[in-house]
Amino acid sequence: MKSQLFAGLLGTLLVMPVALSSSVSPTDPQQAASAKTAQGAATKDAGPFPQVPRITAEEVERLAKEKGNVVFVDTDDPVSYEAEHIKGAVNIAYDPTVDAREQDQLLSALPGDKLIVFYCNCSHEEDSAPMVLEMWELGYDHDKVKALKGGLTRWEQLNYPLVGTDVSATHEKGN
Amino acid sequence: MQCKIPAIGIASSNIVHYATGYNFKYNNGMPIRYVSVPFPFTGQPRAVDVAYVSGKDMLTGQPLMSAVVNALTRPLTDEEKISGAPPQEAVEPRLLPPDWEENLRQLFDDREWSDFNSIILPTEKRVTAMLKGTSHKPDEVVKTINITGGARQLTVEKVAINAVMAGASPEHLPVILALATQAPFGNSTSSMANMVVISGPIRNRLKFNCGTNAMGPYNRSNAVVGRTFTLISKTAGDLRNNVNAWETLGSNLQYNNMCYGENEEALPHGWDPLHVEMGFKPNDNVVTVGMGWSSIASVGASQSIYPTHFLMRDYMGSFCASGSAACIVMDPTVAELLKDVHGFKTKAQLSEWFSQNVTKTAASYWGNGVIQSTAVPFALQGLEPYASWRKLPDDALIKPFTNPKAIHVVVAGGKVQTMWFVTDFAIRRGVLIDDWA
Repeated sequence: MKSQLFAGLLGTLLVMPVALSSSVSPTDPQQAASAKTAQGAATKDAGPFPQVPRITAEEVERLAKEKGNVVFVDTDDPVSYEAEHIKGAVNIAYDPTVDAREQDQLLSALPGDKLIVFYCNCSHEEDSAPMVLEMWELGYDHDKVKALKGGLTRWEQLNYPLVGTDVSATHEKGN
Repeated sequence: MQCKIPAIGIASSNIVHYATGYNFKYNNGMPIRYVSVPFPFTGQPRAVDVAYVSGKDMLTGQPLMSAVVNALTRPLTDEEKISGAPPQEAVEPRLLPPDWEENLRQLFDDREWSDFNSIILPTEKRVTAMLKGTSHKPDEVVKTINITGGARQLTVEKVAINAVMAGASPEHLPVILALATQAPFGNSTSSMANMVVISGPIRNRLKFNCGTNAMGPYNRSNAVVGRTFTLISKTAGDLRNNVNAWETLGSNLQYNNMCYGENEEALPHGWDPLHVEMGFKPNDNVVTVGMGWSSIASVGASQSIYPTHFLMRDYMGSFCASGSAACIVMDPTVAELLKDVHGFKTKAQLSEWFSQNVTKTAASYWGNGVIQSTAVPFALQGLEPYASWRKLPDDALIKPFTNPKAIHVVVAGGKVQTMWFVTDFAIRRGVLIDDWA
């Protein structure tokens, strides 16, 4: 009887460890994009993830030329990377529907003694800035990991070197 | 990205039903067709993989290549033409209906809302009491966990529910909430494990064990906080055996996640606590999570004829060195030896020494599965040092721990013996517990 009373009491008030009613939402790219836009809405000019330091294409191109201690990381999908990427860049695709830690094994294989510059083919570093944050979580120095301001578009505008299956011979060479 | 090219998935037989299940199936905008091959295929002789390809599709029984062509060319059904947001999964209520205790325990086990040790059933009254341990609102989102089928919001209330289940007290809740920001734990086909390190004055206030048996089953705070990480990972992370958790051997460390406190009071002068090395203040309360696979314990006391750090170096040579990650946990007596006898004035100096002195052959380095999936793509894309290492003969020695900052040192233990562990755990940046009080 005692057990029954106890069980009854428990049953009336038991809270589920996984209450799905408000916790699971379908993950679709539009929702993810909306979430990113909302994050970026705080300051119009700063763009999303304003805490992530940006570096201009001009500055990083100069550093790469002078010191050679820059690693570029292209966060687009592998197909886009193969088509066009900054010369010397490696590819770690960013997927907003997956925990960034899924990429930790790749991210932590990047060198700790060089400037690492993440870039995306997007307008406000939406897909590169989150990778910078994850690098910080992995213990990389804040001043050694940055997002490329303007991304691939800005790099292309400046006619800096690109490589890939869709890149013309002229652009491959750069200015 | 839409390429408008017909595509199918090929999944191994142990996971294909997950891939064709509701969540995964509708997570990609439209259902994907699959064919299936036996498992495992990684690391198998070529003849085995050839036999898989010339064999039958495990789903339809058709010859595999015929099934591939069929799946690529068969017209789409109405169900497969679904686009946009997928149909909603059936939702579950926040509260369970009344039932007998044994039935409820069985339900929790059946749903894998447990680690299969006894849990404290999370009644509303108990959860309300637990929530008094934090000033944060119950519906505040601690972390959004991406699981197959959607993004699950881990709220303060859900963390409190798991804390109740693990046997924690309200005063543990800020530690557990900070820890929850790092959930879920690793899930792979190999044996992933975690380490949870508590730093700062809270260690003493909540009586975390940092001394004798710091890693053993001898302390409540170590036990319940470590266990909660497992329960959160399994419930909110939706990890179920052979459904979406496929660690072939699993890891016993996942029961408690090596939860312990650093013995900050016993650190040699000049050796900073783990959280201070990360930039936190000494009086900050911080929880730090590491993730890896291997933990090797020293056997027997340190011997002067072969210095302790030499033996640690030898053991570390067996690790894959992915991301240069390692964490060495040592008794204060070992830390004193390393400082006073061998001259390592800081933890950073010791980490630098390991980075410069741990070696392994190129064949051993490239022969590791994790390295194959991380460093090989980088080597092929020209990133150094991987590109150069790739060209070395098999017996060439390399120094794989290139980043000394990824090699961490933690001091714990009761000064009973000169013992230590070396692990390949990658230590993430700590989380401030005080933010969750």
